[in-house]
Amino acid sequence: MVIDLLRCVGCNSCTVACRAEHGTPANVQFNKIKKYEIGKYPTAKMKFLPMPCMHCQYPPCLKVCPAGATIKKEDGIVLVDENKCIGCRACIVACPYESRHFLWDIKGYYPGNLPTPYEALKHKKFDRGTVVKCNFCAHRLEKGRLPACVETCPAQARYFGDLDDPESEVSRLIALHRGTAFRPELGTEPSVFYIKG
Amino acid sequence: MAEYEKVLKTAQLASPDLFGSAPYRWKEVDPEVKGERKVLFGMCRMCMQGDCLTLVHVEDGVVVKIEGHPGAPPNYGSLCPRGNSAVMNLYNPYRVKAPLLRTNPEKGLDVDPMWKEISWDEALDIVAERLKKVREKDPRGLVVNEGWGQRDTIIRVPFQKAFGTPNEVGSHGPLCTVHYATCLVHANFPVSVVDLEYCQYHITLGRSLGPNFATTGGTRKFAKAIERGMKLVVVDPRCSYEASKGEWVPIRPGTDLAFLLAMAHVMFYEIQKYDEWFLKNRTNAPYLIGPDGYYCRDPESGKPVLWDPVEKTARPWDARFKDIALSGTYTVNGVECRTAFDVVRDQFAPYTPEWAERICTVPAATIRRIAREFVEHARIGSTIEIDGFTFPFRPASLNTERNVTNHRGGTYADLTGKIINMLVGNIEVPGGCLGCGKRGPVLAPGPDGTVMPAYEAVGVPFKFPPDHVDMAEFYPHRHTAPHLTIKAILDPEKYYLDYRVEAWLSVGGNPIRANAQPDVYVEAFKKIPFVVSIAYHMDEPTYLADVVLPEHSFLERMRVVAFWPQHQSVSNETNGLQMVSINQPVPPVFNTRHVDEILLELAERIGILYGEGGVYDQLNRSTDFIIGDEGLVLREGYKLDLNTKYSLEEIFDRQLKGWIGEGKGLDYLNKVGYVARWNSPKTGYNYYYFPEDRTRHEFYFINLKKQGDSLRENLRKHQIKFPGIDDEEYIFDLYKPVPHWVENSELNAPEEFDLWAINWKTPYYSSDTGNVTGNPWLAEIYAKDPYEAVICVNSATAQKKGLKDGDLVIVESRYGKIEGRLRTSELFHPDAVGVSGCYGRGTPQSNPLNRKGPNFNTLLPLDEKTLDGVSAGQEIAPRVKIYRKGERR
Repeated sequence: MVIDLLRCVGCNSCTVACRAEHGTPANVQFNKIKKYEIGKYPTAKMKFLPMPCMHCQYPPCLKVCPAGATIKKEDGIVLVDENKCIGCRACIVACPYESRHFLWDIKGYYPGNLPTPYEALKHKKFDRGTVVKCNFCAHRLEKGRLPACVETCPAQARYFGDLDDPESEVSRLIALHRGTAFRPELGTEPSVFYIKG
Repeated sequence: MAEYEKVLKTAQLASPDLFGSAPYRWKEVDPEVKGERKVLFGMCRMCMQGDCLTLVHVEDGVVVKIEGHPGAPPNYGSLCPRGNSAVMNLYNPYRVKAPLLRTNPEKGLDVDPMWKEISWDEALDIVAERLKKVREKDPRGLVVNEGWGQRDTIIRVPFQKAFGTPNEVGSHGPLCTVHYATCLVHANFPVSVVDLEYCQYHITLGRSLGPNFATTGGTRKFAKAIERGMKLVVVDPRCSYEASKGEWVPIRPGTDLAFLLAMAHVMFYEIQKYDEWFLKNRTNAPYLIGPDGYYCRDPESGKPVLWDPVEKTARPWDARFKDIALSGTYTVNGVECRTAFDVVRDQFAPYTPEWAERICTVPAATIRRIAREFVEHARIGSTIEIDGFTFPFRPASLNTERNVTNHRGGTYADLTGKIINMLVGNIEVPGGCLGCGKRGPVLAPGPDGTVMPAYEAVGVPFKFPPDHVDMAEFYPHRHTAPHLTIKAILDPEKYYLDYRVEAWLSVGGNPIRANAQPDVYVEAFKKIPFVVSIAYHMDEPTYLADVVLPEHSFLERMRVVAFWPQHQSVSNETNGLQMVSINQPVPPVFNTRHVDEILLELAERIGILYGEGGVYDQLNRSTDFIIGDEGLVLREGYKLDLNTKYSLEEIFDRQLKGWIGEGKGLDYLNKVGYVARWNSPKTGYNYYYFPEDRTRHEFYFINLKKQGDSLRENLRKHQIKFPGIDDEEYIFDLYKPVPHWVENSELNAPEEFDLWAINWKTPYYSSDTGNVTGNPWLAEIYAKDPYEAVICVNSATAQKKGLKDGDLVIVESRYGKIEGRLRTSELFHPDAVGVSGCYGRGTPQSNPLNRKGPNFNTLLPLDEKTLDGVSAGQEIAPRVKIYRKGERR
């Protein structure tokens, strides 16, 4: 994935579309946007850093998983097999990008009230005591769709494609704009690149 | 975060099962739809624009996903954060779920109404009977209060007209009176915007191009323009999302008029490079003005005259000229006249950038530089060919909106912006400043050769005693005026009303939360004998109602609409687009009804549905407010029979058949979701319909002067004053034909109020549509956002006052006070106190999330002296002081 930081306006459409796509329980967001300031008045600016899971080539979360629940698919997508996850949370500690979430509870959004029909249906697929994360909408990719955060972005700031193909749009954008990963010094080799930062 | 969870937990106290004691039990899945999967065509309504096309996925009768309709205009598959959260708008246990009758006669925001659930029949009968009595006594006694909470009704206006009341009062308007100058100069509505297809240099003040409140269309166009290198200058007390993508020019709040006057001064006196052809041939700048300030006219034809410097004679505007004098003093019929251009230019002489800097704090050198860059980028004299048609090409535009206009003198600021644009000739041409509404022959000249004022620039005719409870007779160009309405309700004698407000019908309006000084509104509501609310949730006006008629949420609502050109900007993404689309309803979750079915039912029971003058007749005669006959109207051959009952679907079907043609109506739209017609992009520029010298824009705002003079005459005739205004010159000073400097109510506040409060729309709160503050998905995000639901102050200012980030502080204006957590930031002018969105207030029976955060509007004034006397817009940058809670005062 390539994220164009000039185009991104920090609106969090991606964050909410992700929640809507996955129906994650309360307080669990697979995608987030870090908002911060640079500079001093009167030349200060607001900056945005959208952060899905980085789907690292060398995922620290995979290395530490004692149960073999974290897997890296051939296409590079890093997934959690909830049937194998024992909820030890070692991966949460290992992930430098805060991309993983432990389901302490499957909570709805109206505390003290019953889950809404939407929540009742969507929460079925979540298991209490397991770890969940962004999967680049693997279920959508199978159907030829793009991840929900990519399709919904009003600024068209996200691009998705095959990094192994040097002719793909994402590869060309990275080459053209010298795309960088977040904290490359960690050696995780993320599959998410930022351009025009 | 902790605070957010605390608020969520209090939800347990205000349990929403018909406001009784148990959690709401959601309906079981209907066995008949078990296993059924379908995708409905949807239209979002999570903001006031409400034009994004969606797909609504339903499984087992449950909505499981709402997404942008891939490839379909205007959003092309994208959605904003609000639109993405729409499922929570449907499954909201805090909605009103059945018709309710108040049993506690005492009213107040902390007083339990003691609701009794009643049947629809009972509820409609009670309401119809009361409204019938009101109508028999005096139909003006009914106020219909519309607002952003309900933008999908097609029956509200016909209902109000058939009822016979002039009192349609919008609660959403007075903090956003952004219309007059566009209605006057462009004959368009609601505002004027920049052409992001071509613009190279854009100055934006007090408004949003889309990203600030995350509208999909605006954001898409914005991102493309920034990417192609358009220079963006954002003059704003806050470094917004948009300012962060361009040059931020911090300005002291509420002083944009000074900046604009100085920018025009630089253009008139220092740069002196104008689009002379445009001024001579497409404005009234060369019209000769007599000593009385009116046009000098040809004695025979009565037409305004211009000076031909070659022939050395004055001729009517439509004569043939060898040349036209833009400047000079001439004697015509023995009277000394000057060109309007000279009269206007003279007015700007005192407004040097140094003068402005002292008021607005923008350095004089910056004002000069921006003015120069603006003129240079406008490429005066250049042309562009679009689809075989040659347009003037002016890729520079300056646009203003609510934070510029909502002060005394705000209309002048907007009009000064028009003068700045006209000096480079960029009105209604590619790259420039365009009215954002109707496309077509709207620039048709009137008898004086100038564009006919439209929409709110037309003016409400004077009548005494006034018919309008919102004082439209005294503020004929007012946008909407609930603030004057409640004052008239509380003190009808002072406002010269010869009738009394006997009933209030809320249809999406919530002036208590969305206007100033909520306590005054509550007092007015208590005084109204009968209040009805067509309600989505238990908001403030609903909590004070006598009868509550619960309406569908937007996903449950059948809706068929024609596309309106968009409010934030123009580009080829939508230029030339004409479209109708449908929102196919999902199964209703509660015992609610479609707003228009409620209104049709009421009309029938009151006896105003059928016959001449009835709702059907009004509907037959109505046109689209923005796009007129191009909207969904009942065309010839599809008009309703005045004595036959129609379902809402049948009405939509007739509207559609007239629009689509070939006998295609609702069935067809149900199959295809939308019908789009693309005209050539050249039709997106209204210059196309009246090119060259075939029309003229007002540069000298004679219609403003006319209205002021006529108002003065009428006040004299009846020996009356503006209610609440001692010195009428205070208002008439705003009706001059040339903008000039006026002080707003806040500029010279007592010293202790050393700062100015400011407010802006946000991606999570663009307007009170879809109860966004009660949406827990959005709440989860805004709770983590550094600038939402907090009080923002420049770091240095905070330090000077001994305040630090996270302090609980009080912000106090002369009109009200609020409290909240302090956020120190470099993104704010040192004189500004920033409070975003419209958080806070709420009722004991609405989602507790609605009560979270500071309510900016509490700080605002209701006093007439603080208004812009032309638009009746309220002051939205009040002077304030800030201090740590419990520390002093």
